[in-house]
Amino acid sequence: MMTRFNQLPTLKIDPTKKVIFNYKGKTYSGVEGDTIASALYANGVRIYARSLKYHRPRGLYSLDGECSNTMMEVDGIPNVRTENTLLKQGMTVKEQNVKGSAEKDMLGFLDKLDWAMPAGFYYKMMHKPARIWPIAMKQIRKTAGLGEISPDFEMPGKFDEIFPRTDVVVIGGGPAGMTAALAAAEKGLRVIIMESRPWLGGFFDYRTAEYKDGVALYQRGQDLAQQVEANENIRVLKHTAMVGAYSNCLVTGFQTGTDKDAFNERYVEIRANSVIVATGCIERPLIFDNNERPGVMQVGCALRMARNYGILPGENGIFSVGHDLGLEAAIDLFDMGMKIGCVADVREDGQDPELVLALAKRNILLLKGWVATEAHGKKQVNKVSMSSIDGMITRDFDCDVLVASAGLTPVTGPLTMAQIKLRHDDFTGFFVADEMPENTFSAGRILGINNALSIECSGTLAGIKAAKACGACDAAEVEAAEAAMKALPGPVRGSKLVTAPVKGRKSFICFDEDTTIKSVKQTIDSGFDVPELVKRYSSAGLGPGQSGIPGHNLPLYVAKYQALAGVPVKPTTVRAPIVPTFIATYAGTNHTMHKRTPIHNLQVADKGILRKIGVWERVRYFSEDYSCKKEIENVRNNVGMLDGSTLGKFRLHGPDALKALQRIYVSDMSKLKPGRVKYSAMCNDDGCVIDDGVVVMLGENDYYITTSTGRAGQTVEWFRYHTRYDGWDFSMVNITDSMGVINLSGPNARKVFEKITDEDVSNEAFPYSGFKEMLFKDVIPAKVMRLGFVGELSYEFHVASSYMTSLWQLLKEAGAEFGIQNFGVEAQNVLRMEKCHIILGQESEQRTNLLDVGLGFLWDRKKADAKTVGAVALRQAENDPSRFKLVGFKMENNGRAPRDGALVVDSKVRGYIATARDSFSLNEAVGMALVESELAKVGTRLEIYEDECGDERIYGKVVPMPFYDPDGTRMKS
Amino acid sequence: MFSKQKPMWGEKTQLKSSYDAVIIGGGLHGLATAYYLAKEHGITDVAIIEKNYIGFGGAGRNTAIVRANQRTQYNVPLYNEALKLWPILTKELDYNLMFNNCGNLNLMHSEAAMKAARMTIATAQFHGVESHLIDAKEAKELVPALNISEDITFPIHGAMFHPPGGIVRHDAVVWGLARGANKYGVEIHQQTEATGIKTQNGKVTAVETSRGTINTKQVLISAGGYSAALIYGMLGIKLPISVLTIQAMVTQPLKPLLNHVVSSGAYHCYANQTLKGEVATGAHMDQWPNYTTQNTAHYIKHQAEALSEFLPCLRGVKFMRIWGGLADMTPDMAPIMDGNDHVEGFYMDCGWGYFGFKSCSAVGKYMAQFMAEKECPEILKPFNYRRYEKHQLMGETAALVNYTPDN
Repeated sequence: MMTRFNQLPTLKIDPTKKVIFNYKGKTYSGVEGDTIASALYANGVRIYARSLKYHRPRGLYSLDGECSNTMMEVDGIPNVRTENTLLKQGMTVKEQNVKGSAEKDMLGFLDKLDWAMPAGFYYKMMHKPARIWPIAMKQIRKTAGLGEISPDFEMPGKFDEIFPRTDVVVIGGGPAGMTAALAAAEKGLRVIIMESRPWLGGFFDYRTAEYKDGVALYQRGQDLAQQVEANENIRVLKHTAMVGAYSNCLVTGFQTGTDKDAFNERYVEIRANSVIVATGCIERPLIFDNNERPGVMQVGCALRMARNYGILPGENGIFSVGHDLGLEAAIDLFDMGMKIGCVADVREDGQDPELVLALAKRNILLLKGWVATEAHGKKQVNKVSMSSIDGMITRDFDCDVLVASAGLTPVTGPLTMAQIKLRHDDFTGFFVADEMPENTFSAGRILGINNALSIECSGTLAGIKAAKACGACDAAEVEAAEAAMKALPGPVRGSKLVTAPVKGRKSFICFDEDTTIKSVKQTIDSGFDVPELVKRYSSAGLGPGQSGIPGHNLPLYVAKYQALAGVPVKPTTVRAPIVPTFIATYAGTNHTMHKRTPIHNLQVADKGILRKIGVWERVRYFSEDYSCKKEIENVRNNVGMLDGSTLGKFRLHGPDALKALQRIYVSDMSKLKPGRVKYSAMCNDDGCVIDDGVVVMLGENDYYITTSTGRAGQTVEWFRYHTRYDGWDFSMVNITDSMGVINLSGPNARKVFEKITDEDVSNEAFPYSGFKEMLFKDVIPAKVMRLGFVGELSYEFHVASSYMTSLWQLLKEAGAEFGIQNFGVEAQNVLRMEKCHIILGQESEQRTNLLDVGLGFLWDRKKADAKTVGAVALRQAENDPSRFKLVGFKMENNGRAPRDGALVVDSKVRGYIATARDSFSLNEAVGMALVESELAKVGTRLEIYEDECGDERIYGKVVPMPFYDPDGTRMKS
Repeated sequence: MFSKQKPMWGEKTQLKSSYDAVIIGGGLHGLATAYYLAKEHGITDVAIIEKNYIGFGGAGRNTAIVRANQRTQYNVPLYNEALKLWPILTKELDYNLMFNNCGNLNLMHSEAAMKAARMTIATAQFHGVESHLIDAKEAKELVPALNISEDITFPIHGAMFHPPGGIVRHDAVVWGLARGANKYGVEIHQQTEATGIKTQNGKVTAVETSRGTINTKQVLISAGGYSAALIYGMLGIKLPISVLTIQAMVTQPLKPLLNHVVSSGAYHCYANQTLKGEVATGAHMDQWPNYTTQNTAHYIKHQAEALSEFLPCLRGVKFMRIWGGLADMTPDMAPIMDGNDHVEGFYMDCGWGYFGFKSCSAVGKYMAQFMAEKECPEILKPFNYRRYEKHQLMGETAALVNYTPDN
């Protein structure tokens, strides 16, 4: 293991604390603060992985996870970006996508076969003859993909989620982000600052160059960080990658927890009044032959390895850069002990004279207008060829590290994701936003500025603008900040170079997908002329690095290659999550959110078997016998009770309430009488039944209505929508959750009822379809309806949810001597089916209208003034012979019931079985089916086709409905 | 293939002043129709007018899933034919469409869903399309990553297994059809916007574009999510179509994990692994009509929650990219294919919702026949748009749809 600097003031590691981990089965040690990749580097590892297509060796390149070069499997989790994943005690680290090892990969020969794999080659081969494709496909699948995950992998760790609301969110904790946060906080605003690294400081953090008055940049960075952390108005979210930006100032990200946190990672969704994007820059990769050979790394990577992690990345360095930061890094690394053979700068001029002087002082050769053209060395760089930009003069230099960077590129992802249009600016070479939405501001290097004071000032300006957007300061303050900004140096000229003078067969524009300059040329030649299409055909930017490497170079290169005058350089699309995010993290706490009825616990205590039905959790069965024989028989013979609380319940009142009812329900609601229940249905404009339920009149202009469970959520909106132009005066309240319902059904129902009330509930006093408001035990107010959905004497009690427990227990006690039992939704389903009472969605489908299901009798066609929803379509449908009809049927020869969903056929499909059961009550199989109208006549033989029946058919016969108690004596007496 | 690459669908050409037929929309349906017009009917003087670039819309944003387990007898044969065309097209176009015939597994999470599945399966089997109802354990054998325990929000009761389905590389279909059509002489004009259709005496006479007027007697609008607006804007025909944004996403690439397409109605989620190894997943639509194709924070989170439950090993996998496309939804989830009705020479092929990809091959074939013979082929007749005037919905979906408050 190499010696590490342990005294640097910029270190992020604690060299005294060892961290032991396992790499490829052997024990290694790193130190606290190390990333996995930095620890491996310190242990001499240079080849971290092999590339996707050509299995080329890949090494540490950017330190910020912009490509898949350092992705490994860590503790069973694939594709972990080891360069920015903190090392933890006991971690198990493995290489991925290699046959053998990354060092010696048996698939390494593929690199020589690149000629056989031009862009889009897979579209042109392996399909002739057709039989080889399935075999080839298997191989492709095995070869493709990077990491591997076991189907029974269980993700360890705790995942949380927070949804903070704030005035200002600042994306990026560098100098601009920090000054922006401080400026906004100063105005009394709440600020959240998100920083993807585990510390604040940005690109000040590892630089020893002078900030001002003898203070080094890193010291200034630390000072700002302290101010930010100490500010009570600022919530600092470190180690929090921003992943999504949406309109209306919604920003998402995820935070990686420390040992002290109660979470490993947590999803963060911030709704702000204002957003400041201070994401700074990354380096634009330099494109030359073998530009991704291990040992080639970016400027920030080389410098941060030394400054943050105490590791000198090599002994003999060569630099090929396009920005002053490269010169500065060369000087600093030289001072730390790296020998530097030469610094090539693609810029002919424009370098900071002080840096040039400093290089000269150290006798470092500076080649202006030069660039690396090829990295040599089979697995690791050992020599580099340099040439003048025009390719005329060349020189070779030995080295063990090549620091390469074409220039800078702004991190504009947060802007483009928020739908902000970018333009390519020729001076800076950046994609810039000319117009920003209200409340969104950018600051710092993203603007093309480079001077430390300008950067800070731009942050302050953005902070003040955000404060103004939040109403916390006035225009004068913004003007003052703008003036201060103007007095400082503005944007600097960026390097124009796109590629070194190379043919590009081994010059990689995208590392993850092994896309070379040559393959991009082939792609464009094939007719794919827009960057977005080039991306699709050549795969550039579609890998796990998510365009970090090709994001800027690809559009530049496409424009350059086509050399079409006047065609603007267009950025490719950036898509969330801009940092790859665990599904576990996005899922967060993942609470189940189903509604429970007021007597949920009582039902569970009575051994109810629950099902999630729509938004509810309901009891479907009360025993393991899913045919529900006992439950059904008890309702038919004694008395049962059902928790019907999920029914939609509404109160509708106001002078125009009746008009609304007339519009929505098909029946004539003016015929409603106090003390009576009216059953009716609602249709949509196609005449299709969308809901049914009952309406009762509570008083003058005051109605109580019920809807089906599934429809409750949409009912208020439905009324509002269909009365939106009328200006009617009525109100509607959804009281579904505040009321509970118990259905008491069976021949003994009245006996039970009588035990809990002194009122007369005889058939004469409380007949079928009657309604009463009652008070039980002097305290429980109830709305009681006499109904008969299950075909028996039946009462429905509607009481406030808070009384549900008491009423339930009351009925249970009262019913004990009459054999009262619970029944669930499935028993109800069979009971009502025997009675041919329909359930919408079961005996109807989307296209079924009111007439089809035999509910035409509900429709009052005389109320034309009401403009009843669906009436027009119903009139039309009346004479339409092509519609389905709901029929009842029994099975021939006392056969078993067909399965729900079986088809009614002849040579074509003629209908299907809605519900069918072997009925315990009738001792035969019965059901309802939706069939073409020619088959609807009583006596018609139905040929039934079930799944997996082969040539076998079973037969039924259309019979009159209902099957059970046809004249309704049980229900009505 | 190793020589210098040539433009796959020809060099850029000047727009002519007239064509035998003009197709508005360079998506899969337009390309397929053009291909068959030229190949089967000898109508080669065809221009495809594409505002953006071919495959910009739904063609490049879809699930890539193909299957023929639709609900009604009108749809099953059409999709079944489309399914059978993939290997044929691969050969005809001499372009690898990468049909991965892995089969589809549609999870069922309740007794009601099992009933619905049984009807779909019976319909498939009745039409000779393979499809089976299997129980949760069998599903787990097919997809070992499934969580079939009871303790998830929607426990898995069983599944509809449809072996003939799978995944096709959607981009390949776009490029292969474009190349194939171009070989027969079809011209593809990208970056060209159709701005109007001229008619005279109830007949189509010309198409106006951003690059000039084209005289033609036949025009097809098959512009995916943009069709309804174009048809209304150009001819005043109002279609019952709601356009919604639908999103999809992929994870980072993995070695083979899912060997079948898995989907779940209750979780609003499908997942399949592409040949590159990414798990592609999606399904949810915005609940409000819009043309934005914008992503939402809510949705990617929802998707993670769903996958966490029924494919829990994916919790250790990372999402890499989310995108949005448009779904043009009709009230009955079945498309509108019609022509020569209001206006002679005008054809439309739209309202595909999120079924446009899986149907494109067969539809191209029959729309081409329709345009060539000027008579609607029997198989397309049920998809006429007058069915909505008669309030006769097609029943492709069992449950009510709610795209707009009036539905």
